[in-house]
Amino acid sequence: MARRVTRKRRRGSRRVAKKRTHNRRWWHHWKRGLAICLVLLLAYVIYLDVLIRIKFEGKRWALPAHVYARPLELYRGAPVSRTEFQLELDKLGYRLAYQVKESGSYARSGARFDLRTRGFGFWDGNEPAKTVSIWFKDGEVAQVHTKDTGNEIHLLRLDPMFIGGIYPDKHEDRLLVKLDETPEWLPKALVAVEDRNFYQHHGVDLKAIARALWANVRAGATVQGGSTLTQQLVKNFFLSNTRSLWRKANEAVMAVLLELHYDKNEILEAYINEVYLGQQGKRAVHGFGLASRFYFDKSLAQLDLPQTVTLVALVRGPTFYDPRRHPTRLRERRELVLDIMLEQGVISTAQANKAKQANLRVIPNPPLGITPYPGFMDLVRRQLRRDYRKQDLTSEGLRIFTTFDPVVQHHAEQALKKHINRLDRARKLAGHLEGGAIVTATTGGEVLALVAGRRPQFAGFNRVLDARRPVGSLIKPAIYLTALQRADQFNLVTMLDDSPITIQSDSGEEWTPANYDKESHGTVPLFVALTRSYNQATVRLGMELGVDKVVENLRALGLDRQVAPYPSLLLGATSMTPYEIAQIYQTFAAGGFRSPLSAIREVLAANGEPLQRYSLDVAQAVDPVTAQVLNSALREVLRHGTGTSAVRLLPAAGDFAGKTGTTNDLRDSWFAGFGSDRLAVVWLGSDDNRPVGLTGASGALAIWSDTMQRVNAQPLELTAELEVEVTKIDPETGLRAPAGCVSAAELAFSKGTLPREKGGCASDQEESLPERTGRWFRKWLH
Amino acid sequence: MVQKMVALIKGKKIRMRVKFCEFSRCGLLRTVSLSSALLLAACATQAPPEGYSPDPEADPKAVISPGKNTSPAVLDLLERARVASRAGENQKAEAYLERAIRIEPRNPALWHYMAKVHLYGGRLQKAQGLAAKSNSLAGKNVRLRSDNWRIIAHAKQGLGDKNGARAAQDKANALAASMGGQ
Repeated sequence: MARRVTRKRRRGSRRVAKKRTHNRRWWHHWKRGLAICLVLLLAYVIYLDVLIRIKFEGKRWALPAHVYARPLELYRGAPVSRTEFQLELDKLGYRLAYQVKESGSYARSGARFDLRTRGFGFWDGNEPAKTVSIWFKDGEVAQVHTKDTGNEIHLLRLDPMFIGGIYPDKHEDRLLVKLDETPEWLPKALVAVEDRNFYQHHGVDLKAIARALWANVRAGATVQGGSTLTQQLVKNFFLSNTRSLWRKANEAVMAVLLELHYDKNEILEAYINEVYLGQQGKRAVHGFGLASRFYFDKSLAQLDLPQTVTLVALVRGPTFYDPRRHPTRLRERRELVLDIMLEQGVISTAQANKAKQANLRVIPNPPLGITPYPGFMDLVRRQLRRDYRKQDLTSEGLRIFTTFDPVVQHHAEQALKKHINRLDRARKLAGHLEGGAIVTATTGGEVLALVAGRRPQFAGFNRVLDARRPVGSLIKPAIYLTALQRADQFNLVTMLDDSPITIQSDSGEEWTPANYDKESHGTVPLFVALTRSYNQATVRLGMELGVDKVVENLRALGLDRQVAPYPSLLLGATSMTPYEIAQIYQTFAAGGFRSPLSAIREVLAANGEPLQRYSLDVAQAVDPVTAQVLNSALREVLRHGTGTSAVRLLPAAGDFAGKTGTTNDLRDSWFAGFGSDRLAVVWLGSDDNRPVGLTGASGALAIWSDTMQRVNAQPLELTAELEVEVTKIDPETGLRAPAGCVSAAELAFSKGTLPREKGGCASDQEESLPERTGRWFRKWLH
Repeated sequence: MVQKMVALIKGKKIRMRVKFCEFSRCGLLRTVSLSSALLLAACATQAPPEGYSPDPEADPKAVISPGKNTSPAVLDLLERARVASRAGENQKAEAYLERAIRIEPRNPALWHYMAKVHLYGGRLQKAQGLAAKSNSLAGKNVRLRSDNWRIIAHAKQGLGDKNGARAAQDKANALAASMGGQ
């Protein structure tokens, strides 16, 4: 029995042992399997970790180059009117306030502004935020004081306006913002509405998921999401619309991983820059910075509470709540968001009620680009491309400080738009009249404004940089300069022959240029041939000097490409862009000193280190005395020559210098001119080169003079040069005119070449009515 | 490698400065004005350039004062430029001067200072252009014109234009002589 028992026991124990071995083996396999699974899982998590970090770092560091306008400098006597200052504050997004406390707020009473500046870290020194009072008088700054102590501030520099970014070539734009640059309500509203435990959880909020599940079960549909901001950020990184548990799990894991690596503010900042907020055709609108431009055409910092909340309301579904298509839906959602913010104590009842009343104020058409100044940005991009690799431009977060003056740009745009619309209607061109304008500072050649077409906000054909058109008489100053440089042969009163001339080319073709009025004017003083733009006299002079010599001068003046020295060049058959003309006239305006036109002052690396300075570059191209002599003749263009009508819009036009340009069949209308501080070049014509019926005087001159008047350009000064003498000359005889002669020209001569002989005064002689009419008509036509 | 490069750059700089010294010693500079004295000082000690000061009294070496009507804003910038230049931050000094020129583009002294900064920086072509620009605005300021011609002479010498340098120096001397016993 006992044996049986023992056997049984043995059998039993064997069975147990077998089972144990089996269990052990199974356990062993299981353990191995588990280990493999764990290893795989770990590998997968590491993979996700790498993936999410690359994504996060990539987004964070793919900073575009930030481009800024010139900062406004304020000091006693600064040529800034109070209207212009108001415009500057509007463009910078300063807010009108009763009490000036916050940075970026201002109060105004009459000619006095109180403001708290924003402060800005310029590379050549920090400009701290200050509370100041500024008085304006007679179109300039009268005083700048600190508000509290009343101490005078010698020099105050405002923060520069952000005018755009340079972005990678994608159908996706960004306007990256820093957390501390956002309106104060934005982060609070986001946390309150989207993820109230944001600062407590570790990437996933189980309570919120449970709450959402319960709500969804009760409603029988998905009505609430339990995703944290971190999960939403991850979702936005990979933008997939499939709703699956697997994806959800991945997102959750990656959210936890993100939280391990980065702090809450970094995550929130990435969220603000990443979240999807709208669509325009192929272009996705990501981030609050761009959305703010897209819906309100304002920078994010400029938004008030209702506008900020509108954007927060959009997060839930930019298509469903599209403010342009479903404004009522969005308003309801905004109300809900405001209620939540109130409930969470983010805003007061009064604020909530006021915000609920506010209109959406969404602009009907989103701006096409991310910059309001695509024309100027185009120039910046080209100048940078000359000096940098494209890669560096788009990935290094450069900060680019430009010469751009938003106030001058505003004036130039307004003047161009106004007159193009008027002229287009008058000439019945059905919208075909186009134009371009460029304004520079005569000192150093800084480009202040660039209007690339009659719709300057639209990026597209840049007429200032790319419209290469025949320049007509704009070329003439280069010819007369070539003559004046031969001081032993020519001065402004050398008599020139304006009789007809025929030129035979090498191939035997004949060319007989004619004057605009189809008449010959006999012998005329040199300056009259220039100011009244006589073609025959000019061609005769140019042929005597040699066309190649004129071309050499064009190069010396700043044209940086070769042009063929054909005789037709003498009448401007050669084509140039308004930019090239500005470069040439810049040298006249600067009294013979050439400076390459530049749009950039400094380029800084992301850490604020200067990478490159485009320092003031001035080279003497023309003897300053000769330049003064020529400029005095160009001033006559506006006093008695083809540009007299400028006085209608610019009362002081007689103290400016310039030249009209008109081409065959009235296809192009040009004016280039300058005072002592500003130069502007204007072109009008049609993109398809059809005749527009405008001469330089009847078209471009109006825009030029209106722009110069609006920007308060200062008159030309000719006096500094010791070697120059100025006297009055009778235009008919080229002799010295008696004092008080109205028609006399005030001309400059190099010392010792002043004509001695005294003559009469042409305006004293009686003019017959037909003569007077003829004279008027001639002036008007050119 | 890096050390080699630094040595090379230093060597270049030194050679350039020696050139100025040789030029000064060769007798062309008959009138030793402040600017040349400064250059000599720069040769010997490699001290940062000086010579522009908003207040001539504060710096006895300064010859060219920025003019009576110079605005406080510009004087403020000139002071900053001086401090930056003393600290060897020439880029900053340049930037301050540029800001000053934007405010008073017709103040010839500012262009003169700018020319000097570029001369010390070895950018001779620019220095020459800026000095000529200063001259075109200088009017009756003979001292300033003389100093500008001296800068042009230095620049031309450095650029290998010996005849041009001599002619410029002659102009500088003639102008200096016309000032009489000053």
